[in-house]
Amino acid sequence: MEIDQILNEINSIFRKVLNNPSINLTTTSTAEDVDEWDSLNNIRLITEVEKHFDVKFKLREIMKLKNVGELCTGVQKKIA
Amino acid sequence: MIFNSWEFAVLFIVITGIFYSIVPQLRKWLLLAGSIVFIGFNHWGYLALAVSTALLTYGSGIWIDKQNDDKTRQRYFTISLIAHLAILVFFKYFGFLEANMSLFIKTIGGNWNSTITNIFLPLGISFYIFQSISYLIEVYWEEQEAEKNLGDFMLYMLFFMKFLSGPIERPGEFLPQIKEKKVFDYDKVSYGLRLIAIGLFKKLIISNLLATVVNDVFSSVQDYSGAQLCIATLVYPIQLYADFSGYTDIAIGGAAILGYRLSPNFNRPFIAQSITDFWRRWHMSLSFWVKDYIYEPIAFKKRNWGIWGISYALMLTFILLGLWHGDSWNFIIYGAIQGAVIIYEMSRSKWCSKWNKYLSGRWFRTYNIIRTYLIFSASLLFFKIEKFADVVYVYNHIFDGIRATYKEMNLGMRDHNIIVLACAIALMFFYEYADSKWDIWGKLEKKPIALRWSVYYLIIFIIFSCGDFGATDFIYLQF
Repeated sequence: MEIDQILNEINSIFRKVLNNPSINLTTTSTAEDVDEWDSLNNIRLITEVEKHFDVKFKLREIMKLKNVGELCTGVQKKIA
Repeated sequence: MIFNSWEFAVLFIVITGIFYSIVPQLRKWLLLAGSIVFIGFNHWGYLALAVSTALLTYGSGIWIDKQNDDKTRQRYFTISLIAHLAILVFFKYFGFLEANMSLFIKTIGGNWNSTITNIFLPLGISFYIFQSISYLIEVYWEEQEAEKNLGDFMLYMLFFMKFLSGPIERPGEFLPQIKEKKVFDYDKVSYGLRLIAIGLFKKLIISNLLATVVNDVFSSVQDYSGAQLCIATLVYPIQLYADFSGYTDIAIGGAAILGYRLSPNFNRPFIAQSITDFWRRWHMSLSFWVKDYIYEPIAFKKRNWGIWGISYALMLTFILLGLWHGDSWNFIIYGAIQGAVIIYEMSRSKWCSKWNKYLSGRWFRTYNIIRTYLIFSASLLFFKIEKFADVVYVYNHIFDGIRATYKEMNLGMRDHNIIVLACAIALMFFYEYADSKWDIWGKLEKKPIALRWSVYYLIIFIIFSCGDFGATDFIYLQF
């Protein structure tokens, strides 16, 4: 799957979980850029991403993610 | 030796004077020597334990970092973590655990009397053990290479401006600064001096003037009327804030004079819109520590439980945050209240976002600020009062005596002190507001030298004329 497609799907997940249809993620987006993306919602977002793509992350992998682009790359590697 | 003591002032001036007179290569060794004197001055035992812990952390970091196999790495990390927690539990919680065990055995019909009456509580232990754990986790997660230079590592652990009460520094933020070449920077030194002045203003005027009356009320709650309990409950958060943020300002300012950046601990907590927001602004180096190293790992592990997993992680995290403050059930309850309120706020966040356009007006924001302050003030009784029964007494009697007179409500403070206090508190909050909106110090820098120095002398004059110089400890020293 291409990164752009993963990004689109992750964007839909963010909109649904954070209940905000105006979210437009890019590969450089971080929690600083999205108001509702805090430590409480972070776990819900990761869980939904895991369910959607049927993948599992390790805690260390999640802790190392710096932005949405790295999350997309992480998903891409796992589903390859 | 505390920051508002003459001994510390002399030590700091001597260290700073020598620091900028010697060659840069020797400066970190001077700071290490100064830190050793600072810790050892209080008690040689504090120094022995802090140095031993730092050596243990240093060795453990290298030991973990050397392992290539994931399972061995995890095993070594677990052993190191347990060793550090054992030190903290032994010195801080052993008496509490034994007393509760004894009570439990008696309850089920056994007979075991608690024998521990007093264990030596080393200064700063909760802060430096958490710093050690932070370092070990970062090394284990491969976010940080183990530090090989023992001198640098010892300074990271023992640096005197943060040793007693933090901020709890992350290795990635502090260790690289030790390796930087320090040169005299007028801007940093003047920034540091201003922060120290602000810290002393908060501590010597607001915190110290309030300390006597607040301590009197909460040490014998039955002797005071409902109105007095209510006033003391409402002003205690301000005293605690002035005390701890005052300490932090002095720590950050002193470090800045020596060319080091320490992490911020407060970001205008009393404008928080919710308790969730409050904990992103209050004692940030601790709240971010528990978020990164306790909440997120637990919540991640329990992510399949959905909202229950997050609630479980939140409650456990805040109970541990409460317990971090001390070995008593009241601290556990204090933490549990924060956790419960945050879980409640999380549960209604969908409702809030739905009604956001109606709820984001000025009046509703003001209501949120007041509500958050009141919840925090009420929960802080468990933090301040030692006996559970006394906290319950305050809750039961806080609205008694509504027709109290001004004489009763001033808690025995002289009118002069009340006026000074009210002005100082207003000035502190106005300064924080103004500083967040405009770069007031930057603007002042551009003004003529006479005006600048008039402002500086005015601050010094206010501190000396209105401050209470009785050597009272900073509240967070007990942790």
